[in-house]
Amino acid sequence: MKPFDYIATGTIEEACAALDAHAGRARILAGGTDLVLELRRNGELSPGTLVDISRIGSLRGIADSPEGIRIGSLTTHAELSRSEVLRRRAGFLAAAAGEIGSPQIRNRGTIGGNIMHAAACADTVPPLVALGARLTLRSMQGERVVPLEEFFPAPYRTRARENEVLTGIIFAPLPPAARTAFVKLGRRNALSIARLSVAALIERDSQGVIVDARIVPGAALPVWRRIPEAETMLCGQKASTSLFAAAGQKVAGTMVEVTGRRWSTEYKEPVLAVLVRRALELCCRDS
Amino acid sequence: MKTLTLHTTVNGRACEAVIAANQTLLQLLRETLGLTGTKCGCEIGECGACTVLLDGVAVNSCLVLAPQVEGRRVTTVEGLAQGETLTPLQEAFLDHDAVHCGFCTPGMLMSATDLLDHTPSPTEPEIRRGISGNLCRCTGYTQIVAAIEEAARRRVQEP
Repeated sequence: MKPFDYIATGTIEEACAALDAHAGRARILAGGTDLVLELRRNGELSPGTLVDISRIGSLRGIADSPEGIRIGSLTTHAELSRSEVLRRRAGFLAAAAGEIGSPQIRNRGTIGGNIMHAAACADTVPPLVALGARLTLRSMQGERVVPLEEFFPAPYRTRARENEVLTGIIFAPLPPAARTAFVKLGRRNALSIARLSVAALIERDSQGVIVDARIVPGAALPVWRRIPEAETMLCGQKASTSLFAAAGQKVAGTMVEVTGRRWSTEYKEPVLAVLVRRALELCCRDS
Repeated sequence: MKTLTLHTTVNGRACEAVIAANQTLLQLLRETLGLTGTKCGCEIGECGACTVLLDGVAVNSCLVLAPQVEGRRVTTVEGLAQGETLTPLQEAFLDHDAVHCGFCTPGMLMSATDLLDHTPSPTEPEIRRGISGNLCRCTGYTQIVAAIEEAARRRVQEP
């Protein structure tokens, strides 16, 4: 690692001031599970200044407020996966967080880091997109709210400005009848980078008719989005293996339309179709 | 600043050290403090050989920047035994031959300590998940899992 200037900050205001003073040559350090790796890999590249926000207590925690569920950006994956509120009202987010890395990584890595790093394989992003989450960003100029789905212009890119800190993520809790699932395919259970993942949601009425369906694949498209092409096939129908298989085909077809046929398509196309079917089946497993 | 004075608690002892800001916690422990029980393996957070407890929870010390432990509590494998008295977990590792080459052992012990501190009676799948961030290349997982099961029983019996 090349030498850098290190600034420890204790409040959001201090962090914003430090970022403002070093805009363009500062990086934000939170859990460090991605950044420390990156700094070591790019041994030649000094980050200039590291602004450490990991001690800002107000950026931590999960609150169930009237405006929605608010997650502080420094909340760790371990905290997300254990959260009772998330398990009940946003189950696939807790599940996705519990699949990240290893226990050691989950104890350290944060949801804010997962979003800001913007890797295509980021596990918390597909469920957050399905939830319609919004991000709160702070700078010396004030606060702004950005829908997560509009936050990523391209892989590994975000629309955050150089002097902004991601402070929180907010979304409406799911209705109790909604069932969710997160499935991920990697090379090893622990520590695997998702080759493909799927966040899915199904809500059915008392007659068993699907009234809401949301599907967000991970590591499949250049940027994350719901697949309305497949979701509309499900609404108004009753759950069945053939319906879910057809929806899976639709999602895989949409991926190929967007990305074109690439070296990985031969693998990803059939596998994504199966993962979507499995995720939808998991949503309907109990009731 | 590129260097700073760090105040932290390592294995129960207050510790003050002048460090470079670009040091990792692993380098602080092994090179500055001479605590070489914590092993340096992959240095990319995959192998778990460098696992230590930070405020009581397991972390990869190769991925923690040393300045980030200011004011916090670090426990390494050297901090487990009280003098010559091993912890029930360490005893169980010996009894079950859960140590082969020994390189993964400090990290395994720290991950298992975190697991047992937070889940006193873990199931076998919970144990396997608890050490899923630690690789043993001698493939002695069966003995390691048995040792952790045994330690959990002993800890519950004689707290």
